Amino acid sequence: MKLSARSPLLAVVLCLLAPFSFADPGTTADPGGGSQKEKVLHLPMRSAGPGSLDPILGSTVYDTRSCNYVYETLLQYKYLKRPYELEPLLLEAMPTTEDGLTWNFELKKGVLFHDDECFPGGVGRELVTDDVFYSWRRIVDPAYELKSWWLLKELIEGLDEYKEEQGKRVEAGGAFDYSAPIAGFKKVDDHRFQIVLREPVYRFMWILPMAKLSIVPREAVEKYGTGFSRHPVGTGPFLMKEDDWVTNQSMVFTKNPKYHPDFYPTEWMPEDEELGLHEAAGKRLPFVDRVEVTFFVQENPMWLEFQAGKLDYTQVPAENYLEAFHKRSQRLKKEFAEKGVVSHAVPLLDFIFRAFNMEDPLVGGFEPKQRALRQAIAMATDLYEFNSSFYNGINVIYDGMIPPGMDGYPEDGKGPITWAEADLERARELMVEAGYPNGEGLPVIDYYTSLSGNIPEQAELFKRQLAQIGVQLNLRLQNFAQLIEAVDKKKATMFSFSWSSDYPDAENNLALFYGPNEAPGSNHFNYKRAEYDRLYEQILPMVPSPERTKLLEKMRDMVMADTPYIGSMARTRFYVINPWLKNYKPDETFYNWVKYMDLDESARDL
Amino acid sequence: MWAYILRRVLYNIPVYLGIIFLLMAALRVNDPIWGYLGKNASHEAYAAMEKSMGLDQPLLVQFWDFTSGLVTFEEVDGVSRWKAGLAESWSDKGRPVGDLVGDAVWPSLSITVPALVLTSLISITIAILSAYYRGRLPDKVMMVSAVLGMSISFLVYIIFGQYWGAYVLNERIGGEFFAIQGYKSDEPGWWVTYCLLPVLISTIVTMGYDTRFYRAVMVEETGRDYITTARAKGATKRKIMFVHMLKNAMIPIITRIMITLPFLVMGSLLLEVYFGIPGMGRALLQAITTLDFPVAQLLVALFAGLFLLTVILTDVFYALVDPRVRLQ
Repeated sequence: MKLSARSPLLAVVLCLLAPFSFADPGTTADPGGGSQKEKVLHLPMRSAGPGSLDPILGSTVYDTRSCNYVYETLLQYKYLKRPYELEPLLLEAMPTTEDGLTWNFELKKGVLFHDDECFPGGVGRELVTDDVFYSWRRIVDPAYELKSWWLLKELIEGLDEYKEEQGKRVEAGGAFDYSAPIAGFKKVDDHRFQIVLREPVYRFMWILPMAKLSIVPREAVEKYGTGFSRHPVGTGPFLMKEDDWVTNQSMVFTKNPKYHPDFYPTEWMPEDEELGLHEAAGKRLPFVDRVEVTFFVQENPMWLEFQAGKLDYTQVPAENYLEAFHKRSQRLKKEFAEKGVVSHAVPLLDFIFRAFNMEDPLVGGFEPKQRALRQAIAMATDLYEFNSSFYNGINVIYDGMIPPGMDGYPEDGKGPITWAEADLERARELMVEAGYPNGEGLPVIDYYTSLSGNIPEQAELFKRQLAQIGVQLNLRLQNFAQLIEAVDKKKATMFSFSWSSDYPDAENNLALFYGPNEAPGSNHFNYKRAEYDRLYEQILPMVPSPERTKLLEKMRDMVMADTPYIGSMARTRFYVINPWLKNYKPDETFYNWVKYMDLDESARDL
Repeated sequence: MWAYILRRVLYNIPVYLGIIFLLMAALRVNDPIWGYLGKNASHEAYAAMEKSMGLDQPLLVQFWDFTSGLVTFEEVDGVSRWKAGLAESWSDKGRPVGDLVGDAVWPSLSITVPALVLTSLISITIAILSAYYRGRLPDKVMMVSAVLGMSISFLVYIIFGQYWGAYVLNERIGGEFFAIQGYKSDEPGWWVTYCLLPVLISTIVTMGYDTRFYRAVMVEETGRDYITTARAKGATKRKIMFVHMLKNAMIPIITRIMITLPFLVMGSLLLEVYFGIPGMGRALLQAITTLDFPVAQLLVALFAGLFLLTVILTDVFYALVDPRVRLQ
């Protein structure tokens, strides 16, 4: 109450208003209003919230994060292991195969869906094989906009044909038949089944932990219709009532009292011990009773809420980075460390680039002159200046499209062909080779980029850098929808984009240059080279091996030589964690980590 | 009078339809589907989504569907519901637009209405005092303060307000007097905790503009003939100001306040975004940035309707107090 002594007027005002305020008097240990006995997490979500809690309708990380509270997949990532490894979640054991085509699955017994009115008597029933098949069939139902179809396309025997048939049936006014047979879905019994692939594909394992392949009960989908998006019924560690989601504001999840036996991992990395991440090994999950998630459209209030102790952790906003960390050492500042705050640096599986439309008559094509123009632009681009100007120097700059931590990533980020460091002299020589000495005769290039954050400022820097070799850019600042439309319609001559890998295997990034994936698919560059496509098809069935790694490198360097993009950069995200939040190892490749989190309320008073 | 009202309403119907048509056409300049499909789009998924969103229909058909929905009701689960409100949000799947808008109105009003009342009371008082002391030190001080208040960005007030008014204050008193952000109307004392700080910030920012306007109105009134007459009759300055002048100055003041009313419903974009208040401003921003046509269309249709209604009411009000308006 130092304030009252200094500012009597303010003190009087506060006293008058006090009876109407202090929403949660005396419970500072639990700012969210929960009782002292309850363990309540207060977590931020840096967005206006998810768009849908129907796993197959979501497309953002916020949708995925939210779905992971209530839904589960057959496999999950090992929470503490790096590089990433998978383990069973709804399965008894990892799926097995002898030929890479037929995969055997066995579901855990006794896994129950959340209690909900959609079930007889309101009691959740056991998860069975038919639920898996039903959930995956929904992906090809046009009623769900085929948004997640790309995951299973040309993967499972008979699924593409089933989709075609049912699509025609729906078009003709019939109903989508969920019971029609699919050759690749073979039920053995209620807990065992087989999936038959069209061809052996290594990524099959990596898509199994993706939220879009979560298992949902048919009863809930049919009862709630479109409302299923806001009325999730899954098997996950938490459940959510419809009223607990306040649009544009918050979501509240409560512990699933019937959650199946699931335990804190017993494998970890050596560095995890220092942070005590191993201490809960073998304990039953989840640890907390309730999770309150607040949506933040702006970062400033999120940062203040963290400092006020009302959030258990937060990402460090770029503009507050130097408030929390020393720039050179990247160590947490004393004032934070003294409060017991710990920090985590999370390297993201990012591929941030500036791209060329390879079908564009000016910057595209494979002729030596066209290639020289792209290379000149790449050589004039100083990525290190971007890193220091906009990212406090914390991003990773690397050659190729394979982010750090994956097979095929060049040692120290430097490949045999490199454009990472600017060389203006060489860039000017390449401009001569391209037939545009000092930019003479080169038309102004339209550069499409996002309006959000500091991207417009980055575009200005890019424009200035290229002007040094006579390349003039016309900046076309767009919102996300406009930008992606321009790219998908192949209208953007040059554009900036980023790709966050769906799973930690280089194949996901190499698919970005596979010809058949051209726009509007993920090959936004419209890069088409028969030899590359052949190599891509060759690596699809291969499991990690030195031979596969060599092919990955070959493909990487092939693209580097053709230069359909300028890059690359991967972000490092910094998290700060308040001392009472336990067992949190931040990650942005998977999002089901809330069930591992715990609270130590005694640490609030330290 | 009724003929006049009917004429005003009929004039405004084509204006209203025109606004909606222009809005729908403007929204459709950009194709929202690619944005919704995200990074793994395909022509097939595009077609499926286009159909499910109804964007495969000609614009006129979409226009008719939407406008007819504004004036029709449909029975859902035995309850008659407004058809336009039944459309589903695209960015908030499974949520009828009517529910989304309905839920957002009260958080907005809980800030904008008190802010309007407070601003008007303070501004009118300052304006009267300023006019009373016209040209003297108190007038100058009040007007310089008003200009200063107007000159500083709204955003600066918000950021400083959140830091000093909430974060630092709470740290010092060891509790939560003003929330940094959030909105929980089911807690005791919630309005002070979650709304008072944004209301104060809004008041400080708006006060400058209003005070200057109201002062100008008051000063203009001081030159009128009836004031000269009152002076000649020996009325005191105070009586002239508060009895004669204030009454006449109320017409432009009420007009200004009435024109503000529709904006109250639409909330305050910046305050709602920074303070995490799930109001209409935030909903509209979210709808526009995500190209959520059903939400954006309904919000604008509501706003346009309210605005035109206010204009009609203002016209009627004028006609009531000044019969010459009807003749014109």
